[in-house]
Amino acid sequence: MIDVFNQIFSGLSIASILLLISLGLAIIYGTVGVINLAHGEFVMLGAYAVWFLESQFGLGLYPCLVLSFFIVGALGWLVERLVIRRLYGRVLDTILATWGLGVILQQAVRLSAGAELRYVKMPEKLSQAVSVFGIDVSSYRLFVLGIAILLLAVTYLLIFRTAFGMRLRGVVQNPEIARCFGVNTSQIYALTFAYGAGLAGVAGALVSPLKSVSPDMGTGYVVDAFMVVVVGGVQSLLGTVASAGILGELSGGLAYLSNDTIAKALVFLGVVVLIRFRPQGLFALRVRRG
Amino acid sequence: MRTYPLWAKLLGYGVFCLVLLAVPLFISDDYLLNKFARYLVFGIVALALSISWGYAGILNLGQAVSFGLGSYCMAMALKLRTIPIQTGAEGLPDFMVWNNVKSLPWFWVPFHSYAFAIAAGVLVPVILAFLLGSFVFRARVTGVYVAIITLALLVVVNLVIIDRQRYTGGFNGLTDLEPLELFGVTFDPYAVATYYLIAISLAVALFLGLAVVHSKTGLVMQAIRADETRVRYFGYDVAAYQTFALCLSAGIAGFAGMLYTLVMAFASPTFLAVPISLSIVIWCAVGGRTSLLGSALGAIVVTGVQGSLSDTPAFLETWTLIMGVLFIVVVLFLPRGLISLIDLVPFGRRTDATPARAARRGRVSVR
Repeated sequence: MIDVFNQIFSGLSIASILLLISLGLAIIYGTVGVINLAHGEFVMLGAYAVWFLESQFGLGLYPCLVLSFFIVGALGWLVERLVIRRLYGRVLDTILATWGLGVILQQAVRLSAGAELRYVKMPEKLSQAVSVFGIDVSSYRLFVLGIAILLLAVTYLLIFRTAFGMRLRGVVQNPEIARCFGVNTSQIYALTFAYGAGLAGVAGALVSPLKSVSPDMGTGYVVDAFMVVVVGGVQSLLGTVASAGILGELSGGLAYLSNDTIAKALVFLGVVVLIRFRPQGLFALRVRRG
Repeated sequence: MRTYPLWAKLLGYGVFCLVLLAVPLFISDDYLLNKFARYLVFGIVALALSISWGYAGILNLGQAVSFGLGSYCMAMALKLRTIPIQTGAEGLPDFMVWNNVKSLPWFWVPFHSYAFAIAAGVLVPVILAFLLGSFVFRARVTGVYVAIITLALLVVVNLVIIDRQRYTGGFNGLTDLEPLELFGVTFDPYAVATYYLIAISLAVALFLGLAVVHSKTGLVMQAIRADETRVRYFGYDVAAYQTFALCLSAGIAGFAGMLYTLVMAFASPTFLAVPISLSIVIWCAVGGRTSLLGSALGAIVVTGVQGSLSDTPAFLETWTLIMGVLFIVVVLFLPRGLISLIDLVPFGRRTDATPARAARRGRVSVR
C-alpha cells in the first residue's frame, strides 16, 4: 500500500513539473498559434536566472521565483516583437525560427555563463521530508506541486475573470472581429507570449534545485511539454492539467516497472497512437483550423 | 521567383558534380580530403531532407534518425570484421564483452554479411519511415504535428540507443572499426577512393532526386505542399505520395549515414541526436529547401565554414551563435534560401506575378 502511495506521489511530482512547463506552451500555442520550440530554453533561462541571482546577490529562492518570471517574461516580449510577429500565419516557419532562437539562447548562455553544470541551493526549510498519509515525501516536491496549482489558478482567473482575459478569448475566437471592436490584437499576442515565457521561467526556477542547471537542459523538457499539450488538446486549460496528470503518473508508473528510458519510449508511442486517432487531443472541444 | 528550363538545371547540376569529382586532382592532402568528404555527406543528407520538406512539405525534424540508423548498420558490419583483442577472430565485439553479453544478439548476426548490412542501412530507415508515414499520413495528420512526432521519435530513438548499451555501445557508440573492403578497394577514411565514393553518391543522389521531382510523382508532391485538400479532391492518394517522399528521403539519408561511418570510422549516438537533426534543417533552409542543389550546397558551405573555423575553438562557439542568427534571418526574409538569390540574374521565366503564386502566398502550408 505504501508502495502505491509512493508511486502515486512520485507521478504527481513529475506531473506538477510537466504542468508548469506545458502551461506556458499551451497558452502560447492556443492563443498566438505559435509552436514555440524555444520554450525549453526559456525554462533553462529561468533556472540560470536563479543561479545568477543566488550566486551574485545572495538572493534566496522565493524572490528569485518572482524575478525569473519577469526576466524571462520580458525576454519573451522582446522575442515576440522582434521575430514571432513577422511569422503569424506561417506556423511551420515559427517552428524553425523558435528552434533557431533556442540555439542562440543556448549558445549565448554557454558563452557567458560557461558550459559546466551549475547547482542551486534548496531552501533549508524545504529540504527535509514530511510525512503525508504515513509516507515520507520531500517537502520541496510538495512545494512545487503547490506552486503549480497556484499558477494554474492565477492563469484561470487571468483568462476567465479579467478584462484582459476577455479580450484574449475574443482574439482567439476571431482576431478580425476582435480588432473591429477596438482590441489591440498585436498587444494581446505580445503580452500572451510574454506571459507564457514567464511561466516557463518560473518552471525553470522551480526545477533548478532538483536538477543540475546546464545550457542544454531545456531540450528534453520541450518535447515532454509538447506531448502534454498534444494529449490535452490545444486551447483547453483543463485538458492540459489532465494530460499532465496522466502523462506524469504514466511515466512514473512505467519507470517503476522498467526504467526511465523505456517509460519515455512507451509514453511516446502512446502519444503517437493518440495523435493518429484523435489529433485534436483528448479534451479539446473543437478542432482548431488554420 | 523564376523557373528555369530543365536543360539549364541539368547543366548546373552537371557542372557542380564535375567540380566535386575534380577536387582530388588539386588537393593531395589526405586530411583535407577527408574533411571535404564529410561536408559532401552532409550535402547528401540535406538534399534528402529537401525532397520531403522542400518538395512534399513534410517538415521532418527527425531526419537524423535515418542518418544515424544507416551509420550504425555500417558500423556494426565493420565492427564484426574487427578482430577483438579479448575473444580473437569471430569473437564478440569488445563492448559486448565488457557488458557481459554472452553471445551476439540475433539481430546483429546477419551483419556479418556486407551485402545485408548495406541493404539494411537503406532499408531499416525506409521501413521505419514507411511505418511512421503510413500510420501518420493515413490519419491526415499534417504540418506541425508531423514535425513534433518526428522530433519526439528522434529523442526516443536516441535515448533507446544510449540505454541499450549492451547491444549498441551506449554513449561511446561503435568505435575501433575495420575499414570497408569491397571489390578489392579499401575505403579507408583518408583514402581517395572514399572521397570518390562519396562524391559519386552525391551526384547520383542529386540526379535521382531531380528525376523524381520532375516526374509526375514529383509534381503531385509539390501540389500537396501547396494545397493538400485540393489534391485530394482530384482523387490522388495524398498519404501514399507523402509516405513515398518520406521513405525516399529516409533511404538517401540512411545511405549518407553509412558513408559518414566510413569517413569518421565510428558511429555514435550523437549522429542521431537533436543538434545534428537541427543542423540538417538549418543547412536545408539556408541553402534553399526547394532546391536539391541549394540544400546540398547549403550543407557543404555551412559545414565548410564551420570546419575551417574549428582550429580556433573560441570562434567555433561564436559560430553556432552566428548560425542561429543566420537561420532566423533566412526564415524571416529569404524563405527559399540563399540559392533564390540566383533569381537576381535575369534569366529564366519570371512567375512572380501570376495569380497562382499570389494565392499560394496566402496559403502556403499554414495548416
